[in-house]
Amino acid sequence: MGSRPLATVLAAINGVLLGKPSQVQLAVTCLVAGGHLLIEDLPGMGKTTLAEALARSFGLDFQRVHFTSDLLPADLTGLRIFDQSRGAFRFEPGPLFTQVLLADEINRASPRTQSALLEAMAAGRVSVDGVTHPLPQPFCVIATQNGLDQGGTSALPESQLDRFLMRLSLGFPSREAEASLLAGQGLGLEQLGALLQPAELLDLQRQANQQHCEPALIDYVLDLLTASRGAGAAGSPLSPRAGLALLQAARAWSLIEGRRYVTPADVIAVFAAVAEHRLDGGHPLAEAGGHSRQLLESVDAIR
Amino acid sequence: MASPLARRSLLLHGLALGLLALQLALTDRSQILFWGAVALVALAGLKLRESRRPPDLRRAALAELIAVGVLAVMNPELGPSLLQASTALVVLGALLSQEAGGRTSLRQLLGRSLQLAMAALPLLVLLFLLLPRLGPLWSLPGATAGRTGLSDQLDPGAIASLVQDPSPALRVSPLSGAIPPPAQRYWRVLVLDRFDGRRWSSLAAPDLRQPPPPPPAQGTPWQLWVVEPSPVPQLPWSGEGIPLTPGLRMAEAGELIGPGPGGERRRYTLGRPTGPSAWRTRPPLPQDLLLPRGSNPRLEQLAEQWGRTLPPAARVEAAARFFRSGSFRYTLQPGRLPQWAPLDAFLFESRAGFCEHFAGSFTALMRAAGLPARVVLGYQGGEWIGDAGGTSGYLDVRQRDAHAWSEVWLEGQGWVAVDPTGWVAPDRIAAGVQGGLAGQLEDLRRLGRTLPWLRQLEQGWTRLDLAWTRWVLQFDGRSQNGLMDRWLGRWRQWQGAVLVGGLAVALVPAALLLGRQYQGRRRDDLRRELERCLAQLAQLGLQPRGGEDLEAFCARAAEVHPKLREALQTLSASYGQLRYAPPETTERRRALASLQHSRQALTRRTSGD
Repeated sequence: MGSRPLATVLAAINGVLLGKPSQVQLAVTCLVAGGHLLIEDLPGMGKTTLAEALARSFGLDFQRVHFTSDLLPADLTGLRIFDQSRGAFRFEPGPLFTQVLLADEINRASPRTQSALLEAMAAGRVSVDGVTHPLPQPFCVIATQNGLDQGGTSALPESQLDRFLMRLSLGFPSREAEASLLAGQGLGLEQLGALLQPAELLDLQRQANQQHCEPALIDYVLDLLTASRGAGAAGSPLSPRAGLALLQAARAWSLIEGRRYVTPADVIAVFAAVAEHRLDGGHPLAEAGGHSRQLLESVDAIR
Repeated sequence: MASPLARRSLLLHGLALGLLALQLALTDRSQILFWGAVALVALAGLKLRESRRPPDLRRAALAELIAVGVLAVMNPELGPSLLQASTALVVLGALLSQEAGGRTSLRQLLGRSLQLAMAALPLLVLLFLLLPRLGPLWSLPGATAGRTGLSDQLDPGAIASLVQDPSPALRVSPLSGAIPPPAQRYWRVLVLDRFDGRRWSSLAAPDLRQPPPPPPAQGTPWQLWVVEPSPVPQLPWSGEGIPLTPGLRMAEAGELIGPGPGGERRRYTLGRPTGPSAWRTRPPLPQDLLLPRGSNPRLEQLAEQWGRTLPPAARVEAAARFFRSGSFRYTLQPGRLPQWAPLDAFLFESRAGFCEHFAGSFTALMRAAGLPARVVLGYQGGEWIGDAGGTSGYLDVRQRDAHAWSEVWLEGQGWVAVDPTGWVAPDRIAAGVQGGLAGQLEDLRRLGRTLPWLRQLEQGWTRLDLAWTRWVLQFDGRSQNGLMDRWLGRWRQWQGAVLVGGLAVALVPAALLLGRQYQGRRRDDLRRELERCLAQLAQLGLQPRGGEDLEAFCARAAEVHPKLREALQTLSASYGQLRYAPPETTERRRALASLQHSRQALTRRTSGD
């Protein structure tokens, strides 16, 4: 078993967000896998704290946009404005041009704005008035949405949920964790310094891509995918893209676990976060984790 | 996925084709198999070009390997053989890198290719020892002319140009007994018995179209000779010994004439002499006394005086005194001699020359004195590379060791070799040309001394080449028979059974390797080990839940049975590694060992509980 390359980062974030080690590791995994993260929970559960702690500890630029129904795509991407002093148009980049974008309450924005964001997430660049502007590297969107049905929201459709590598929900902290939170034992966000450089994150992402997958492991993933597509399976069938995402996340997880190869344990660890929002057809928090648990239990993981 | 073909495999195939083309370019085009090999390589190239799926690459590899085999038949020498072997390795690497999915590192590829080659080694040795030889294939006639060597006449300048030539001429390796000491290292090739007043040549060209010589005599192998291509059909030898190699025969003047022309490298074995060679006592012919009268008057005048007053043996002594007392000088730049009476000009005016001058004029003197005499061309000296006793190793003779000396007929003694050069420049005989020219070649010698590693490298290679020649190339049907006789003795009639049985045994390593590399089998072994562990745990009432992976299951089991914690942790870690780590990691064996160890621990604990 090798060393865990991100142990200090995990420890630091766990010092800020108390009592949520597995969610923190999943969030870091998502970042290392180069995917985007959707955090779904009630207000006040620490979504923003997690997002900001992630950005700070990895030393990434951080922008926060609170989505509202009147937010326009240009408010995100930026726009061309006329520079009077030079007598020419000039591109004024929007908040999207950052390394970590916290998109708060994404389901409050109009579908049009959601689309603009998701397009940028998929392509890694933004086109304004026919000119293409590349987004910075690494680029990661951490979006939050309120799980409860509230007025004036447009839930993300299935196809767009697919753009998020993982969906997490934080849940209530344990009694002990909440006790120390109330006792003020958690670290403040501002006390969290950059533990890594952006280049190091890119390097980790490259390493994660090279983690070894034996044919036996691929078999296991294939069995999971097949099980989701069989007659009587719980939830929507998993797409090939879901399979790729699952493997990508499992690779990053195994890297964080300090191994050079992926085992079924890695797949199981990320499965709920990667697969549940693709399985439940966009019904937020419907019987949390139920579909993915059923699927996992239907496939033999000791092989 | 753009193409199912591994890029590295294609690159390696390209490299293999390049190596094959290189070897073809170095191959003699007149060989029968040459165009066949060209066709095979072209076929492999075309197949590679139109390859779309892995099976196509397998076919290209097959064509390449067969081409390597054909090349091996054409060029069995050491250097080409090494090149062929490395080409075969490259082809195997190309094959493996495709079959392994293109994810293996170059080092692993090389290791696996070597492993495969090693598995084939017993088969190779067996076939080499037992498979009947296809004689004619091995001696396909080549038509290249020799590049260096002796000329068939003694013409001033011919040897001077050779003297500077350090390329190898021949090598002798003693098979029994020792190599003669330096002063006796005269290797005769040609006998020149015709003198026209200026040039020495052979009266009769050796008749190569004679009916094949009688089957070789029986004898103890004595010396193994390897002779580089030469323009003359005669072969060097010491003048003693019995020709053992088929097609080798002795001419009446003491020349050894080999199978085929001199255009290719020749190898032959001489047997230990059982008595003095016949040619030494063969009486002289009239031509051995012929001398064009008046061509060198002063020479004739001097010699006739000896002939009138002295008995035969004393005439040689008189000549020795003449050469020793006169101010003769050994040099490689003697200058040109006049067209008319050149020997007079040499003996009485310039008095500077090298072995040809001395041998030519001495022989002419003896003939003029009434003594049958002839010139012998060959090599003298050589560098011994081997042990101090001169029994194990070989004598390395270069073109610069070419030499000329004389033979005179003395009644009662037969033909006696006389080296007039030795009277003038004893160093030339003791230490080779360089000794005779001490000073002139000092620069070269210094260079040789400053680069001892170069010398060692060259010697090492030559030694290897000789061993290859002796143990591999010389292993023919006769040696095979001898071997079978020695091994089987009375049970010779079971030879076929031995061959078949040996083949079966030789295939064992290949079968083992195949079995070990067969993925499914390996997986089953591992799976069986795991199932044993799971069975042990089931006895404790521990069963994996649906979808539970081994790590989680072991952790849960350890909660229930803390005593088993260590064994369970080892089990899950080493199984995970064996099952999911890249197959070629070095820790594999250790992981397997610890897996078995933890299974034993589980067995002990469960039965102990």
